[in-house]
Amino acid sequence: MTVVTANKLLGDPVDRVDGPLKVTGAAPYPSDVTYPGLVHAVLVQSTIAAGTIRSIDAADAEAAPGVLAVITHENAPALAEGPMTPLLGPAPPSPLKDNRILHHGQHVAIVVAETLEQATAAARLVRIDYEETAPVLGIDNPEAAVLRNPWGLETQRGDAAAALASAEVVYDETFAIAAGTNNPLGLFATVARWEGDRLIVHESTQWPTMARQTLATVFNVPENDVQVLVPYLGGGFGAGLRTWPHAILTALAARLVDRPVKLVLTRPQMFTSVGHRAETTQRLRLGATRAGRLVAIDHVGTSTLGAEAANMEFISIETGAAYACPNVATHDRQVRLNIPSPGWMRGPGSEGNFAIESALDELSYTLGIDPLELRLRNYAEVHPQSGLPWSSKALRECYRVGAERFGWTRRTPEIGSMREGNWLVGYGMAGVTFGGAQLPCQVRVSIRRDGSAHVRSAATDIGTGTYTVATQLAAELLGLDIGQVRVEIGDSDLAPAPPSGGSSLATSLGGAIRDAAGNLLRAFLNVLAEDHRSPLQGRRRDDVTAADGRIHLVDDPSVGETYSDILARHELDELAADGEINPQADGAGMAPSGPFAARFAEVRIDAELGLLRVARIVSAVDAGRILNEKLARSQIIGATVMGIGMTMLEETIFDPGSGRIANATFGDYLIPVNADVPDLDVVFVGEPDRFSPIGSKGLGEVGIVGVSAAIANAVYHATGRRIRSLPITIDQLL
Amino acid sequence: MNAFEYVRPDDVAGAVTMVSRDPHASYLAGGTTLLDLVLKDGVVELGRVVDITRLPLRGISRGDDTLRVGALTTMEELAADPTVTERLPFVREALLLGASPQLRNMATVGGNILQRTRCRYFRDPTVAACNKRAPGSGCAAVTGVARMHAILGARAACIALHASDLCVPLVALDAVVHIQGVGGKRSVPLTEFYVLPGDRPDIENVLQHGELITEVEVPLLPVNARSGYLKVRDRASYEFALTSAAAALLIEDGTIARARLALGGVGTIPRRAREAEELLNGAPAVNQTFRAAAEVALRDPFTVSGTAFKVELAKRTIVRILQTVSGVQS
Repeated sequence: MTVVTANKLLGDPVDRVDGPLKVTGAAPYPSDVTYPGLVHAVLVQSTIAAGTIRSIDAADAEAAPGVLAVITHENAPALAEGPMTPLLGPAPPSPLKDNRILHHGQHVAIVVAETLEQATAAARLVRIDYEETAPVLGIDNPEAAVLRNPWGLETQRGDAAAALASAEVVYDETFAIAAGTNNPLGLFATVARWEGDRLIVHESTQWPTMARQTLATVFNVPENDVQVLVPYLGGGFGAGLRTWPHAILTALAARLVDRPVKLVLTRPQMFTSVGHRAETTQRLRLGATRAGRLVAIDHVGTSTLGAEAANMEFISIETGAAYACPNVATHDRQVRLNIPSPGWMRGPGSEGNFAIESALDELSYTLGIDPLELRLRNYAEVHPQSGLPWSSKALRECYRVGAERFGWTRRTPEIGSMREGNWLVGYGMAGVTFGGAQLPCQVRVSIRRDGSAHVRSAATDIGTGTYTVATQLAAELLGLDIGQVRVEIGDSDLAPAPPSGGSSLATSLGGAIRDAAGNLLRAFLNVLAEDHRSPLQGRRRDDVTAADGRIHLVDDPSVGETYSDILARHELDELAADGEINPQADGAGMAPSGPFAARFAEVRIDAELGLLRVARIVSAVDAGRILNEKLARSQIIGATVMGIGMTMLEETIFDPGSGRIANATFGDYLIPVNADVPDLDVVFVGEPDRFSPIGSKGLGEVGIVGVSAAIANAVYHATGRRIRSLPITIDQLL
Repeated sequence: MNAFEYVRPDDVAGAVTMVSRDPHASYLAGGTTLLDLVLKDGVVELGRVVDITRLPLRGISRGDDTLRVGALTTMEELAADPTVTERLPFVREALLLGASPQLRNMATVGGNILQRTRCRYFRDPTVAACNKRAPGSGCAAVTGVARMHAILGARAACIALHASDLCVPLVALDAVVHIQGVGGKRSVPLTEFYVLPGDRPDIENVLQHGELITEVEVPLLPVNARSGYLKVRDRASYEFALTSAAAALLIEDGTIARARLALGGVGTIPRRAREAEELLNGAPAVNQTFRAAAEVALRDPFTVSGTAFKVELAKRTIVRILQTVSGVQS
């Protein structure tokens, strides 16, 4: 497979093409959508975590001013379950099935009224009598059902148990990471409208194609009759990968009241309605030689799970790939609790990285080897599980360049040996091997008679820059100016696309655009096959390329003609071509790589007061070809901030008795503010990836991974305190 | 939310009459607490909201030894006042370490004094057990998730924290609250304004319904006093205190001539540390003294598992602020 080599626009730090729309408030987000006659819905949520509804008294709510409907399990029609989802498994259970309560905050009714205020007031009048049972809460709860190896993704190679038993040095520790909540700034919204049996939904989703399938299945209507629109989304961080019950309820409400209905989740409802990063515990055992070679890894990851929900959580997914260790065993466990369903939150696998990279740091002190050197001694030159060469890997370069920019050699290894004034100073680092996938994706690209191009796909831009990189790619491949390219995404009626998720979209969509651009040039040549007036008559795809709005011979740029001339002469309004990517790793002779990174952190600690502040973080990232340096940097910076949050602040706390989330507001659930975010240095290294048609690898998530271990390792270097649970708060450091 | 009437009177007497006569009426000033409680959290239901932002209670005037601060003066305005900077620097520090600039531009001094607790069990109407909301219903926080909760003045009936930063130096300074009711005016020292939860955590202060704070009178520190406010929290900004301390010291020849000390982040009310002050007064300004004062100030805490660490943290906070203000090295 050849890689795009031209480099006119790719990589340029082009400003976001949608920037002016966003900063002027003109970009229509789902919550902005309105229709004549639109009415408003408000959810009623369970105030117990387990039990049944004995009765619902909705009389006062129904009689309240403006109320159109109060929909409960008692009067809702039966809804089918959503479909199985590639990547994610079964859909979340459909709402209002019966009177059972599985978690605090479960949607038990939806109230529809003429105004939001009326719906809000009426929702408080719905009286529910519960039969409460003791909820199953707590990841250590012995009464909780445990799923073992739920996805068949456990890694086995060699004999980890035997190698641990005979290892010169053995490490055995446990780690705990609090649950976290995605919390995109944009509150998730659904606006649903039925036109007869046709459903149009403006939805906060990262995956319109899947949202369409889910809604069609749940309401038992043809997929052709469902359209999901999300031209702009105020962030997702994984929360928008599912079509959650609130969206289904909104569509149901719209059908029952026969009016367009809008639902916007409140911030507290965001904590219970759209997934969260599962709470996790891990036991990690390492065996090593005194020279610092890993001989065994045994990694058990346990995560929380909703009572009847599914979630593919990836705690130990990268453990087997990270280091050249002959004996590896990973184990996945899930614990069913009466909690809202966890789901993906940016960077699943960051939890496992925290354990592995903390453990290596501990090992470095045990063995008296520099932490960076220890990682190099276990460098995986080939993919350790398959033995195949990586499609690209510049982790060594990440270490070298990152260490240089950070000044790693200035680190004095003794604990507590570095100070600045009253503050202890610590240096820590972590390596990152992260998964990355290209997923099946389709796109249609057309060129109009004025020479402009139109790119259409059901992809999304969740704030990451899809519009911009798709524009750059199409312009590059078709030889156009950026201003001549219009990208249309966020509409499930367009060619099917994977989610903005799993660090997959830019590379998948980019590969499809590359395919479509090639097909489009072929389509132009086909038009010219019998056209003796064209200098390109009879030419083949390989003979030509495109630049400045024209197709010309590779060997002689003077021979060619413009798209406009060709279309005009043939009286064609436009030519279109489809493109797709359907990557198959089997038989490729290489292990498809995700991104790699090295993180270096400097922290300051006031030991008496337990204050921890991050002074700087250097991230050296191999994400293959960088499509837009500015957007890529922003991705890494943003993810690093989330990593700081995960490490030092964020914790979704379940009340131990009631299962209610005790801090479901921005006043109580702390995310980093500017004062917590220090100088974040980002550098990209590496070469275009060989498995990716456009050479890029996903970088939407890698920026969060490794931050926790780098900071925790720096804390140890400063204080001698090894913190194995996140977040690292003042009470842990006193 | 329930529907309520909104009125905006122009004179103090009229506003006071309006609220005093109506048990379901409440004053609205900056709104940074009330809007949350009424509109977002739904824990306070009002029949009438009396907007007092047009009353002539905004502004700062200086007397010889005091600063008179109108109740509607915003936190940001008070922080910017030159006398505060010069003579009450720890008041300025406490103000600027509180909330965010956006909130400080809305929130008033009177409202800051009357802010309600941040306890999420209080602020969530689906939680049944809250003695502060529903007297006699119990306290869910005591057995729940308690970290931002009180350890002094707390008891099993209520561990809700008074989260103000500003009030910490104000109680240290013996600030006086001026109040107007239908029956006339009265003045109450801030240290006597708040009521410990006792058996009635719903009663938080000495105000009768309808009484309005019109002014806060803040004594100035002696010119040669030094003061400071230390706020300890996980997030570097825009978070309530886990612990905080306000200290003002007059030191003569290495001896503490006069100490003022108050604590935040630990009390059901802003805590004046009088016993610690007595210990400090006349004692040498050395670490041993500071630690002894800290021990006294944190005597007899009421802790739950989530707040136990705050006892030692509060002591260290006291020691650090005393070191900082006195210039003594740790």
